[in-house]
Amino acid sequence: MASLPKRIIKETERLITDPVPGITAEPHDDNLRYFEVTVEGPVGSPYENGIFQLELYLPDDYPMEAPKVRFLTKIYHPNIDRLGRICLDVLKTNWSPALQIRTVLLSIQALLASPNPNDPLANDVAEDWIKDEEAAKQTAKKWSKLYATPKQ
Amino acid sequence: MHTAAVDAEHEYVYEDDFDGNSFDDTSAEKYTDMAAGKKRNSIMSQESEFEIDDQLYSDDDGTDAYNDYTLVEPLSTVSARELNQGTVPNLKYECLTAQSIFEKMVERVNHLKLIFNICTEDLLSLMQHFDWNEERLLESWTDKMDDLLVEIGLKNASETVSGTQIDASNGTETARTLNFRNNFSCMICCEEKTTNTFSLECGHEYCIDCYRHYVNDKLNSGNIISCIGCSLALKNDDIDKITGSPSSKKLMMSSIKSFVQKHNKNYRWCPFTDCNYIIHLKDTSSLDEYARLHYSPFVKCSDSHRFCFSCAFEIHAPADCNVTALWVNKSRKESANLNWVLSNTKECPKCSVNIEKDGGCNHMVCSGCKYEFCWICERDWTPHGKSFYQCTLYKSDDDKKNAKTSLEVAAKTLKKYTFYYKMFNAQEESAKLDWTLGQAVGAKVRLLQEKMGVSWIEGQFLAESVRTLYEGRTALKWSFAVAYYSDASHNLTKIFVDNQSLLSAAVEDLSELLEIKEPAKIMDRKTDFYNKAGYVENRTSALIECGRDLLCKGICKPV
Ligand SMILES: [Zn+2]
Ligand SMILES: [Zn+2]
Ligand SMILES: [Zn+2]
Ligand SMILES: [Zn+2]
Ligand SMILES: [Zn+2]
Ligand SMILES: [Zn+2]
Repeated sequence: MASLPKRIIKETERLITDPVPGITAEPHDDNLRYFEVTVEGPVGSPYENGIFQLELYLPDDYPMEAPKVRFLTKIYHPNIDRLGRICLDVLKTNWSPALQIRTVLLSIQALLASPNPNDPLANDVAEDWIKDEEAAKQTAKKWSKLYATPKQ
Repeated sequence: MHTAAVDAEHEYVYEDDFDGNSFDDTSAEKYTDMAAGKKRNSIMSQESEFEIDDQLYSDDDGTDAYNDYTLVEPLSTVSARELNQGTVPNLKYECLTAQSIFEKMVERVNHLKLIFNICTEDLLSLMQHFDWNEERLLESWTDKMDDLLVEIGLKNASETVSGTQIDASNGTETARTLNFRNNFSCMICCEEKTTNTFSLECGHEYCIDCYRHYVNDKLNSGNIISCIGCSLALKNDDIDKITGSPSSKKLMMSSIKSFVQKHNKNYRWCPFTDCNYIIHLKDTSSLDEYARLHYSPFVKCSDSHRFCFSCAFEIHAPADCNVTALWVNKSRKESANLNWVLSNTKECPKCSVNIEKDGGCNHMVCSGCKYEFCWICERDWTPHGKSFYQCTLYKSDDDKKNAKTSLEVAAKTLKKYTFYYKMFNAQEESAKLDWTLGQAVGAKVRLLQEKMGVSWIEGQFLAESVRTLYEGRTALKWSFAVAYYSDASHNLTKIFVDNQSLLSAAVEDLSELLEIKEPAKIMDRKTDFYNKAGYVENRTSALIECGRDLLCKGICKPV
């Protein structure tokens, strides 16, 4: 494997020594561009108390190209589809090389706190969300308990 | 190897009769003649040892499409015959390039500058932001000028300067130039190095390597490129400075390209491979009405590529866009089924020796065991006899006429289609061969002219004849699509078939003239070329008009 760019080394170091509250990101042993990520559900959101597993991959052209991030834990959210793909501007058109892994993960956490059903990725979920927000939130809570509760 | 008796009629009549609408003998002969042209041409092309000059007959004057603009085709150069050939009458259009569209935009910008009182570069960005739509820009501008400038990144949100004058020198001293720095620590690559850097007034400074990489990645997007760290826009000047080359031109071109894509009602790329011309049709309001009359908006780019503005296919008269789409779609779907027809080798049904078919004739004699059989039904030739009506497959189909299962109907349809498809293909092939030969002969004639000191115009008769021939073959080709969808029993269809035969004969006649390989003799036959080409033109127009008539009267009913 080609040597790791300084930028990635620096970001990785900082993620470990100065972690973002509620978020962990650890590089894989055999591939330092691949991160195992956990994000805690934001307090006051339907995802509270849930711990969500994600995978994050830094493509060859990173940081010119955005990291690739996907939910591994099943989640009921209008901007996250069944395959865990996330509809988030900073991962697509609004990506800038000045952003970092930690800013991306913070944006994802913020997306959990405030879903945006008007720019949906999971259309059926978004529909439910617009039709009956309370019921949708209940479903999200149920799913969190079911799939995102850490095993004791 | 295949040896075949020359019972050429057999081939065409045989298949044609499948839906019970037989041609009479004369029309069969006519189709046979049409197919014959192909054979002659393929022989010619083998003998031809000339080099082919594709450019010879194009209107291309050799200039680069990118630097060559405002090639407007005035209506007067559209000859009467073009208007005759199924084209929407009085179609007004111009042929442009991305570059020429851009020049027009710059012209507009220079005009707008007087209203806006801001620099050209900023106005270009504004236009780019609004997809080069002046009206939208003007609307938004009057509403919220300052917000707009901030949104597009032409102005920093923190800037409190009022008024409309935007001046690049307002920022910090080092902004918008390359700066040389010792031990610069770049936020993007995290390297510490002695390097050139770049920053806008916002002060977001990065090493030149990172900036260049960033900008190069975005040149094809057509969108405004902003500072890596904020939304302040890079201007064309900045882009060129960062990349060290005139890259902003590439960005402008990609922006124009997306403009063309977004306005595909009025703009269309020439569909020919590697052609960079764009046809601009200002007024498309009459197109629908003409489509009802089965006229198509055929246009011609400055490289003489002729195509249909509506469906982006080649000129397809007498077929209209609908027939064309259905026909093309069908041939895509059937292509697997048709492989057996178009493939030129088959095993002998008796001894399994591979036999190659090298002509149109279907009476096959096996080179191994001398078995005589029919190419199409693969059965013994004897019952076929002299008459092609005896093809056993045909007969058995005929017998079952009253017990049409869906499978049988499908088989019949396929055979009928196969016939027209073969005719269509034969003309396409011949058109290509004629064209190739025409270029070769043309090159020789041109050489001779240069030697004799004859003017270029003098020799134009050959170029024009070759083009006429190609257009005639193309019309003939598409006429088989029309014929396929037409009610064969109708009298007008019979007239149409007669017209096909007449054009076919005319085209073969002209094509024969090209066989004269002596350039001097060709020059001597100038009058013949003119006469025969003129006749092909007339026949082409007649066939196209007749086809349009079939469509208008609903006799050609594509389903
Ligand atoms: Zn850098
Ligand atoms: Zn900035
Ligand atoms: Zn063209
Ligand atoms: Zn068309
Ligand atoms: Zn044999
Ligand atoms: Zn037969």
